[in-house]
Order: sequence, then C-alpha cells, then structure tokens
Amino acid sequence: MALLVVKDVHTYYGKIHALKGLSLTVDEGEIVTLIGANGAGKTTTLRTISGVLKPRDGSVEFDNEDLASFRAHEIVYKGVSMVPEGRGIFSRLTVFENLDLGAYHRDDDDGIKQDFEKVYSLFPRLYERRKQVAGTLSGGEQQMLATGRALMARPRLMLMDEPSMGLAPILVESIFDTIHEINQEGTTILLVEQNAHMALQVAHRGYVLQTGEIVLHDSAESLRENEMVKKAYLGME
Amino acid sequence: MNIRDSIRSGLITFGLILFLNLLGLPRTFGSPTIILFTVIVGLLTLLFLRDRHDRKYDLPSSLLNGAIIGIVAGLMLSLVTFIFARMQADGIQVKNVFAQIFPEHTAALTGISADDVIAGVSVLPGLIKLTGLFMIAGILGGGATRLFTERTQAYRTQLATSSAARWLVLGLPFLFYALFLSLKIEGVDIGGSDENILGLIFIFIFIASALFAIRGANSGRERIVYSIGLIILILILPQLTDLFQNAILGAVAIFIVMGIGLNIVVGYAGLLDLGYVAFFGIGAYSYALLSAPKSYFLVNLPWFGGLTFWTGLPVALLMGVAAGVLLGIPVLRMRGDYLAIVTLGFGEIIRLLMLNLRDYTGGPGGVLNVPSPIVFGADLGNPKGILYLAMLFAIVVAFLTTRLRDSRLGRAWLALREDEDVAQAMGINLVSIKLMAFASGAGFAAVAGALYAARQVNIFPDNFTLLVSIDVLSLIIIGGMGSIEGAVLGSLALIGLPEILRSVNEYRIVAYGALLIIMMILRPEGLLPSARRQRELHSEDETVESASAAD
Repeated sequence: MALLVVKDVHTYYGKIHALKGLSLTVDEGEIVTLIGANGAGKTTTLRTISGVLKPRDGSVEFDNEDLASFRAHEIVYKGVSMVPEGRGIFSRLTVFENLDLGAYHRDDDDGIKQDFEKVYSLFPRLYERRKQVAGTLSGGEQQMLATGRALMARPRLMLMDEPSMGLAPILVESIFDTIHEINQEGTTILLVEQNAHMALQVAHRGYVLQTGEIVLHDSAESLRENEMVKKAYLGME
Repeated sequence: MNIRDSIRSGLITFGLILFLNLLGLPRTFGSPTIILFTVIVGLLTLLFLRDRHDRKYDLPSSLLNGAIIGIVAGLMLSLVTFIFARMQADGIQVKNVFAQIFPEHTAALTGISADDVIAGVSVLPGLIKLTGLFMIAGILGGGATRLFTERTQAYRTQLATSSAARWLVLGLPFLFYALFLSLKIEGVDIGGSDENILGLIFIFIFIASALFAIRGANSGRERIVYSIGLIILILILPQLTDLFQNAILGAVAIFIVMGIGLNIVVGYAGLLDLGYVAFFGIGAYSYALLSAPKSYFLVNLPWFGGLTFWTGLPVALLMGVAAGVLLGIPVLRMRGDYLAIVTLGFGEIIRLLMLNLRDYTGGPGGVLNVPSPIVFGADLGNPKGILYLAMLFAIVVAFLTTRLRDSRLGRAWLALREDEDVAQAMGINLVSIKLMAFASGAGFAAVAGALYAARQVNIFPDNFTLLVSIDVLSLIIIGGMGSIEGAVLGSLALIGLPEILRSVNEYRIVAYGALLIIMMILRPEGLLPSARRQRELHSEDETVESASAAD
C-alpha cells in the first residue's frame, strides 16, 4: 500500500524551475532512496514533501490525504518527520532538549518516555551525553541526535537528507546500519543520498533524479547493476 | 616581553582619559580628578596586562610593562595639557574649539592655580608629578596581575569555594540591609545631608548581593528559602524608605516589569524588538484616556469613561496584547536586522500618533490628571503605594514568565531562537508562537505603562521615546539575558543608579556608555545570566572541558 504518493510535482524557487513533474511513491515499510548529483533536486523534493516548499503544480498525498492545504508543522502531526540536511540540530540546547523538541507536538507523556528509552537504546552515546550541549557533539553524534530527534515524533514516514554527509567512513556504515534497524522496527524511510553505493545497499527501491526529473526507477538490486548508475553514481566503469 | 603592546595599551589609556578630559571632568571635580584618573590608569593596566599573563610573564616584566603604560599615558596627557596651558597663557581662547577646556581645567590637573596658568607660570612640575602618579598606578596595576596567574588560580578557586566565602556572600546582603537601617537610627550619622542617597545605595547593594547569594545557593530548597527571605525584606522596605527613595524604587520596579516582558521577546524567542516602548505607551495611554477627567473622546462615550485603575488595567492589557499581535503579523517573515528596523519604526509611529492625533490623544499637551489606583478605599497615588503595586506586578509577571519559560511554549521559543526552519520541521507552529511572544511581551509592557501613567499623573508623548526601548534592552543585556534576576539587577544599575547620580548629571550618559562597553568585553552574558546564556557564551571553555573529560 502506498504511504506516500508524489504526483507530477512542479516546484519553483522564484523563477527557477527546480522540480519538473516529479512523481514517486513510497510504500509502507519500505526504504526508498533518491539518488542524484548536486543540484538535481533531491533536497527540494524532501522540502516539498515536508511542506516547507509548496509545489506550484501536482500533488503530494500522504496516507491517501492531499497535503496541499497543510502547513509544514501540521504535516509533522500527520506522521512525516525530517532529518534535515547538515543535521540541523539546535546546537545551543542540550541533547535532552533537542530530543524533547522532536516530540513537541505530542501529548502522550508515557509514549514520549518510551520513545526516549527507545532512542537511548538505539544510540547509547546520546544517553551518555544527554546533558551536554548539542553543539559540542562530534559530527557522528550530531547525526545520531538528528535521527533520534526525528524518531521522537514517532513518524510513519521519516525523510532523511544526506545522513552520511561529512562523516568518517566507519560512521557512515553505522548510520546505515541504524537506518536499517529503524526500518525493521516499522518506520518507512525516504532517503536522499549522494553516497549511492551505501544507499542502494540498504534501500529496497531507488529513484535516480537528474535536473528535477526522475530518469530511472527500479529495485535497488537492479539499480546497482544498471550500467548508467554504475558509471555516474557508483564510480564504476 | 612586548614593549610595543604596552605602548599601545598606554595610548588607549591616554585616549580614554583625554576623552574624559575634553568632557570637562577636571573642571567639574577639581583636584580630586587626578585621583580618579590615577585609579583609572591602574585598573586599565591591570586589565590590559591580565590578558597577557598566560604568556608566562614574570614579575619584573609585569611591573615594567605596567610602568610603560603609565608613563605613556602620563606623558601624552602632560603634552596635551602643556599645549593647552601655553595657549591659555598666550591668550588663545581654547574653549572656542574645546568647550570644556578652561584655565581652571589645567589647574585641576597640575595643581597650579588658574591665575598662574594665565600668567604663564610653568606647569611642568605639576605635569611631572602627574606622570609620576600614572607610572606608580601602572606599576601597581602590573603588580596586581600577579594575583591572576595560573599559579594563584588554585588558591583563588579554593578561596572562592571556601565556607568563609560562602558565609560572606550570604552575610553581605544582611550587612547592607543593616547599614541601611542604621541610617534610620537617631544619632547615627553616616551619610550627612545625602543620607537618603546613601540609603538607596545600600538598598541597591543589598538587593544585588542578595541576588548573587541566591544564585550561589547550593540546592533548590536553599534557593527558595533565600528568595522568600529576600521578598519579605523587600516588602518591608517601602515602610522604611522615604518619599524620594520610594519614588526611585518605584521607577526601578516598573522597569523590572518591562525588562521581564522584553526578556520573553528577545531573550527567549530571540526576536529583536527595538520598539518595545510602543506597548508601554499604548498601555499608558489606554488607561489614561479612559480614566482622566478632562479627556478627549473616549471619556465622553457613555459606556466608557471614568474607568478606575482596576477596570482600566485589563483594558490596557488587552490593548497591549492586541498591539503586540498587530505588530507581530506583518513581521512574521522577518528575521534579525530587518525585524529590528521594523519594530524600531513601529515604536516611533506610535509616539508620533500620540503627538499628532491631537483630538484623540491631546497631542503634545498629553493627558492630565490620570487618577491613581485605589485599593479598599486607600489611595495608592503616592510613591509608596505605586512602589508596592509595581513590586506586586513584578512578582506576578516574574511568576508567569517562569511558568511560560518552562512550558511547551517556552521550549518552542528556544527552538525558534536557535533555528526557525528546523523548529518548523519539528512541528512547531511558527506563526502562533511568534505571536504569543509578541503578545505576552507587549501585554506586560502595557501593564507597566498603565502603572506608569498612574505614577506620573500627567503623561506626554515625550515620555515614550526610543530611549525607553533602548533602556529596557540595555538593562536586560547588562543584567543578563533570559533571567529574571538579571532584569532586576539591570534595572537597579541602569534606572536606579542614574537617578542617584543626578548630581553628576552630564557624565551619566558617559558612564552608561562605558558600562555597556566594559560589560560587553568582560561579561557578555550579563551580570546574572540564565544558566543557558552562560553556557552559550562560554561554550568554548565547555568544549575544552568535555574534550578533556572524554580523554
């Protein structure tokens, strides 16, 4: 069952036509990755889905409901949460406060407590550093925090924008392990990545984005074998 | 050892002293000016050299560099003074250019009488004495840096955390309270004719040191006990103070209410509002126009008019909140500098409206005979009554603000201040929380405004200039952003002290500016910042600490 359906979306930055009729679907329980070069429109796609940008044309449907009339913060209530590019943590608040803000719109104190435990067990480092100011964390820890914070919203769909950016290779691997783990526990994930190699290993399906258009769509396995993808994104001849 | 640095520091010292000189300090104060200047040289030397102590300065080089700073400053000042003296002796009217330079001025610095200066008696001996004094001050200042080396660091921490220091901190407030009380006892003459000013100073220091004592408390319970003690003592205070003291304390308390309100907008939500006075003015005018006997149009309406303080206050509050929302809506999309400029304009627009809508507001003639608050038949239209009311408002506003800060809304404000986009991605409704910040800040200012109108009895558009906004903003910066104790301390320092210093009127603004600059250099987070602010502005130290903790 399709959880997210993006249909023929056109998004503009002023006069710049950033997304030119992009369509994609994400099914419940999947990890779908969106790969593409710089400026292809990957982040724009996520910003359009999360409601920060409004498409000029086309529709975004989440759980069979058109999101056009909802504002960004209301879309969070619907169950879509975002791990922003460059992590976007509140660097002067503590780790605890950051996580707490992830659950900002929720009222169920017991559920929030459970999710704190869940996040802390997923990322024991965050528990160790819960009283520390987030800006003093290392890059990998900040990525854990951003991911944990998005989980605190108890999302049905998690949008992740370049979680591997700027991290040491060993941390990249552990981040992708975590993504897999989160997905195993039932959260659907739309993953935007430049690191196509890792993304296609963890994802079920993938879309290849070029200058605002989907040029290729297939299962992750076949994409890994695809000549064009190999050449352009996996660095293989 | 870096002599060039020291020469530069000496020149900076000279620049400051020359500035005070050209302002005419020597002429006003006479010969004690030299003492003041010498002290300034000593303190500046300490400041300059203290920053350098980590470069392994030893005692001789500290003393030498201190001496250099003193000598440079002294020689330069002597040179300028000598030139002025020569010109005065030659009959050139220096004061046509430098309005404050008179023969008396030169006399104050050199110890040679004004007539002798005009007669052309050499001022050199006086100048040598001056340079010598500066040099000694520099040496002392340089020597004092030895107290701040790494080697003494351990002793200083030990001293600061010892139980003696703790009891001293706890005891100081009571000492000052006692000193104030002793002024009341017949036969004890400490202050002479300025007894009430001295009393005020004791009160200010009492409140300030009590706030520091509360901050230094070891546990939450201890803090509550101290806070209650402080509040009780302060509640007794207006019974002991005289009219003049109550009037000043009343103004301080009204600004505390405003400071706490602006703290929500600037400190918590991070929205720089330079037009805060607008809400203060709207509150004052709302109450005044609805209650003053000879009023303009509102009073003549049958269903309005002749409101008392207690019926006018909610109206003023509502008007303030409405104005806050109205200002909030158009500036929702603005950030940082742009927001500051628009709010600045808003403040001026409100004042100009008050000034020019003659038929509605009375124009420059203001609103006269605003009635005073009455509680159970008792007229509170006197300094003591207003002070009690203002203190009551301050306590209520402080309580509400604390609750707001610790609520979900408070957390949303923090997130907003950090990063608007990410805050939105967390599901925070930016529109509503920004409007809430503006509205609650504005509401508190309006309440302060209504009380201010009652205090002043007659209010005019001139009471609501940009300067008020700047005062309130400065007081929360000086006091410490985001903290309620900070607003209290800032208000004492920036509203209370200038009132006391009226006798040295012209220098109030200089002192004010100097205080702001010094604070921003030495303690950018303010005197009593919120724990969060302190953390933010000293995050470098913290990184180091956590890094070393991780090792």
